[in-house]
Order: sequence, then C-alpha cells, then structure tokens
Amino acid sequence: MQAALPKATGRVRRRRQRTRWFDWMTAPALIVLAVVVGYPIVDAVLVSFTNYSLYTPLHHYVGGVNYSHLSNDPVFWKSLQNTVIFTGVSVAVGLLLGLGLALALERLRGPWRFLRAILLTPWAVPVIVTAFLFEFMFTNPGGIINSLLETAGLIHSPLPWLTSPTWALTAVIIANVWMQAPFFLLIFTAALGGVPDEVIEAARIDRARTWSMIALIKLPYLRNAALVGALLMIIQNFNNFPLIWAMTTGGPAYGTSTLVIYVYQLAFTSFKLGYASAVGVVWLVLLMIITSLFIRTLRSRPA
Amino acid sequence: MQILGLRRKQHPVEGAPLRSAARPGSCQARRYRLVATGAVLALVSGGVAACSSGGSAGGSKNVITFANWAAAETNTAPGVAAMIKKYESLHPGITIKSEPISFTDIDQQLVGEVKAGNPPDVAELQGGYTYDLAATGGLQPLSSFATSSWQSSIIPRELGLGKISGQQVAIPWTVAPLALWYNKTVMRKAGLKPTPPATWAQLLTDAKAIHAKEPKVIVLGNDTTSREYGLDVNWPIMRSFGAVAFSGTKATANTPAMQKYLTFIRTIGKDGYTPENQKQGFFRQPAASNQVAFTIDGPYVKGVVQSLNHASNQAFYQTWAAAPLPTATGTHYSIPTDHQLVMFKNSPNKKAAWEFMNWLATSPYAVSHYTIPYEGSIPPLAHPSGTVAGLLNNPVSQVFVKQIVPEVVIPAWGASYSAAYADVMAGIQNAMISSTPIPSVASTMQTAVTGDVSG
Repeated sequence: MQAALPKATGRVRRRRQRTRWFDWMTAPALIVLAVVVGYPIVDAVLVSFTNYSLYTPLHHYVGGVNYSHLSNDPVFWKSLQNTVIFTGVSVAVGLLLGLGLALALERLRGPWRFLRAILLTPWAVPVIVTAFLFEFMFTNPGGIINSLLETAGLIHSPLPWLTSPTWALTAVIIANVWMQAPFFLLIFTAALGGVPDEVIEAARIDRARTWSMIALIKLPYLRNAALVGALLMIIQNFNNFPLIWAMTTGGPAYGTSTLVIYVYQLAFTSFKLGYASAVGVVWLVLLMIITSLFIRTLRSRPA
Repeated sequence: MQILGLRRKQHPVEGAPLRSAARPGSCQARRYRLVATGAVLALVSGGVAACSSGGSAGGSKNVITFANWAAAETNTAPGVAAMIKKYESLHPGITIKSEPISFTDIDQQLVGEVKAGNPPDVAELQGGYTYDLAATGGLQPLSSFATSSWQSSIIPRELGLGKISGQQVAIPWTVAPLALWYNKTVMRKAGLKPTPPATWAQLLTDAKAIHAKEPKVIVLGNDTTSREYGLDVNWPIMRSFGAVAFSGTKATANTPAMQKYLTFIRTIGKDGYTPENQKQGFFRQPAASNQVAFTIDGPYVKGVVQSLNHASNQAFYQTWAAAPLPTATGTHYSIPTDHQLVMFKNSPNKKAAWEFMNWLATSPYAVSHYTIPYEGSIPPLAHPSGTVAGLLNNPVSQVFVKQIVPEVVIPAWGASYSAAYADVMAGIQNAMISSTPIPSVASTMQTAVTGDVSG
C-alpha cells in the first residue's frame, strides 16, 4: 500500500499539471465573455445612474433619479404586467398543448411518424416569418381568422385582433404558442421514450386504463422534462422581441408592450439611454432570479 | 520526404506522425508551441491588418459612402443603383458606396454611427431624423457649399426645412408634403360629387355616405401607429383643429382644441372609417383596388398605386386626385415627408460629397430619371425648365406645387418630439379604441407628455 503511494501521487501531480493547463484554455472564452457580456452589464448599471441621452454628448451622474422615476412610470408597470401575462400564458398553454400532442402521437408507427415531423416545423420557422404570417392572418379588414370565425358562425362582426389592447395581446400569445408548442412536443416525446417498458408492462398487467396510465405512470416521468422545458421557455419568452415588435410594435396604447419592447423604445427611438438602462437593469435582475432558479432546479434534479 | 522544409523534424521512425515525437516539456515540444503561437499571432495580426485596410478603403479620398433607404426598398433600389452608376461614369475618379438601411432603422443606426465616430459621408434623411442627427452635432453645416446662387435655384420653403438652429445642415432631395388623396370612383359609387372635402366635418359626412353604401371600403387611410412617422401624419390634422401636443419643453396636450381633435379621431375609429394602429403603407394596396375612399399620403402614392394596379397615368388621374388636407379652423396644414440629403462632419471627402448631393438633388438627369419616375415626388427646383417642367405638367404635381407646398409647417421635431411621440400616439390610440372620456384621455396624455418634454 505504502509502495503504491508515490506512484499514485506522481499520477495525481501529472493530472493536476494537465488540469491546470486545461484550466488556462478557458481564458480566451472568459475574456470574450467579459468583453461582450460583463462589460456591457457593468456599463449599463453605471449608465442607469446618469441622464445619458444620445442627443447630447454631455451627461452626468443623477443618482437614483431614473429608478425613482421608474416606480411612478405607468408604462413600465404596464410592460411588466404584459411580460408576466405573455410569458405565463404562452408557457402554460404551449406546455399543455405540447404534452397533449406528445401523448396523442406516442403510438404512431410506420409512415405516420412523419406527422410528428410536420408538427415540429413551426419551431423551425424564423420568428419574423411567423410574426408577419400571423399579422396577415389577424389583420382587419381582410384577415383570414375573422373570415373563418364569421363563416363558422362563431362571431357576427370582425374581432379587433390587432387594434384592441386585450385582443392584440391574445393574438401575440396565440402566435407565440403556435411557435413554441412543438418545442414541448419534442421534449415530451423524448421523455416518453425514457419511460421503462417494464413499468408500462406492469401497469398493463394490472389493467391500468388509459387515463390512469397517463396520470399515474407517465406524467411523473415527464415532470423533470416539463420543469426544464418550462424554465427555458420562460427565459426565452421574457426576452421575446421580434414577434411582438413585428406584429404590433408594442401597441395599441402600450397594450402589448413588454419590458424588452419598452427598453428598445426608450433606448433606440427616444435615445434615453440612462433611463433605458435603469429599466434594463431591473429586467436583468428579474432574468437573473429566473436563471438562478433554473440552475438550482437542474442541480437538484435526481439522476 | 523534404516537404515544406520539415525534414529535420522528421521522426526517426518513418511514417510516424510528427506530433507524437513532441514529448511534453521537451525542447521539440517547446519549439512546436513557439511555432504554433507565432502562427496564431501571424493570423491574428493578418486579420487585424485586413480589417484595418478594409476600413481605410471606405475612407479613402475617392470613395463616398452613401447611407440611404432608397436602395433598401424594392421600388426605388433600381433607380438609385442607376443614379450611382451614372454619377460614377460622369466622375471617373469617384466611387459611390451605397449602404442600404431600412427607413425604420436609419435614424437610430446613424445616431449610433455618429456616436461611434464612423458615420457615412452622405445620408438620406427625412423630417425628424434630420433633427435627431443635427442634435448629435454630427452634421456638417453646408453654408460654405450652398452658394447664394445655388440657394436661389431651390424652392425657399424647402431649403428652409434643412435649416436647423440657423445652420443649413440638409438640402432637399425630393419634395413630398402630405395631401388628402380622394378616390373619385368610390365617391361617385356612394352618390357623392367627386370633389374633395374642405373641412373635417364635411369629410365625416362623406364618410357616413360611403360607409353606408360600401361598408368594406376603408373610408380614411390615416397612420395611427406608435411611430414618429405616425405623429408626423397626425400633426397637420391636430394643427388644423388648433391643437399642438407640446411646444418646446411645455406640454399642451390637454386643451379644448386637442379634445376636439381626439373626438374626431374617436369618431373615425369607432364608426369604422379607419382601421386603428395601421401604417400608411397598409392603405396603399387596397387603394390600388379602389377599396379606399380617402387617404393621407405624399405624392409618391401615385407611383406605388400604379406599380400595383398597372394603371396608366390617364386612368390614375381619372380615379385619384390630390387636395389640401381638410381643416376645422379655416387654415389648411401639411407637413413635409421630403427626403433630404446631409453630409457628416467626419467626411474626409466633403467637396466630392457635396458635388454628389447637389447632382442627385438638382441635376436635370437625376430629377427626370429618378426623383419624378422612381420617387413620384416633386424636385426641389424653384424654376424647373425643359424636360423637368414637362414632367411636372400634370394635375397631381400642379396641386402639390401650387397648393400643398405653401401649406407646409414643420412639426416640433427634435429631442422632445422623439421623447414624446410614443405617449402622444398612445393617447391617440386610446381615443380611437377605448371608451375612456375624451377629457380623461387628454389629461393622461398631458401628464405623460409633461414627463417626456420637461427634460
């Protein structure tokens, strides 16, 4: 045992040497991250305490004025509220739709499996294309959605899909759900493939019915996939800019303005970089909370 | 086996890879590392050199960079390309490098470029964009280039649009004030005389008749999107009611005149005469198929409509005509949607840049081959002659030159405008779609605009 020790120590030392050398390999990536992520964040925090506007070359420190203005800014609170509704409803409906589709398509065999591939295509369509597609479909007059609803006798006059704040938010959420339900379909299909055959067989021997099989056997196996998928989509939807901007530009009357839209408007159409940075910092903090929740969930996930 | 001089480093065992000979820490391994580091440094420095040489090419004395949205739009891109080709053939020492940027993005992109210190030499701007760029201090005053004889050749009012804080920082390229376009065919079908309404009240009366007869026809094309351009379009309507949303750093959004304007806006929204939150461009497609009765647009709408329905000039004039925007107080207003040309202070080629700008805006060739046919706009020439005068001898151009250009007022463009437009448009949209009492809408707008313009 004692004789083996020096040999082992030498191996460990060599491994450590290699590891140290390997650690240095991360330096370029860390430098890049510091430049493209770290520096802008630090700079945004600093700018949020100034009255920086792109119009004027001079700007100065104004303390917490931007943050106190934020607390009294109705557009900020409206945007925050819209962000929560847009994200929450999109993820919840997308998840349920994806789950339903995954369960319905689970038993597809042979050429019918092609159907699953077709259902995944909305996920591959560029966001901007989806946005214009749905804008044309919802537009009034002339949109196909109102036309179909009228033909089916569900409505008697066209709905103001993109011209009423409530309906506009609904229209944007529908487009978003169409785009991201396939993502949930994909992860649930993969998770369903991981349910052990013996468990399914045992349930069948016990004459479990379809609903019991889904609720008591399959859903517990899908819990982790649902959690990871939902958290990823929450982060993605929190940052969803192109879909909303292309469909409604945040209107009408701030009806679909989310935090990311508001930051863009402040920074790039009103050029108020100081105030935009303050909104951006709040937005960043919220995203960091969600991200840390995501990382903690991943770490605590059982193998 | 002497390939690339590597024979001396060949491993004693023939065919074994070179890398296997480099034991960690050995002299050979260090040499390889040194060679690899050298290669990486050479590549990086080569790349940097290539980038910097590419950058300097853009700033060399014979290259004029020209940022514009005309090259980014399907209708005008071939025309701009042809103009550049022609100019380069007339000036062999000059190369024009066109930078296509969409109309929506050009303002923020150029403001960013000025701040970063790398703006183009020349740019195409419009309305508030010129004021935004002037506020950054990045525009070159043009007084030393625009001689008094040159100035006398330009329509004085149009020349004045490029004068900001006493400095001539922009010259007019295409003249395009907003007018009321009316569709004579639709009016006749509704049993109306095909004459333009002179007042907004008259327009509402006509609208009622048209909507009753043809419910699917859009009665009034009015841009109510939350964009600076949305406010541009609504500015002359507001003014014709005697309303102004703000003046300098003072909000004036809650006045009886503004409430009258908002009531008018509510009527056209609630009675289904105007689809809310739609861009001006939205109305052009239905206009081409006689599905629009009135629309507020510039002279260029003629070209767009004709490109869509392939109508001849004669057929177009039989269907469409332009008139001053109606009024509620007796005075008619319009605003310019002119395209202007500016030069940036950083330009190393100011003289060449000016010559290019001047040629685009005033040369008979550019006016008759681009401004009129591609832009569908009026040239800024005070005394057009020859071919240009002939091209302007039509009912639409004459209305614009004689009636609408003199009515042009400049909106309160600048920092306050950029800060407040979103809240003003939110108020307008609220008036159109909500049932909130108009005084309350005006009061909310006043509070929001006060916050925007008070600094």
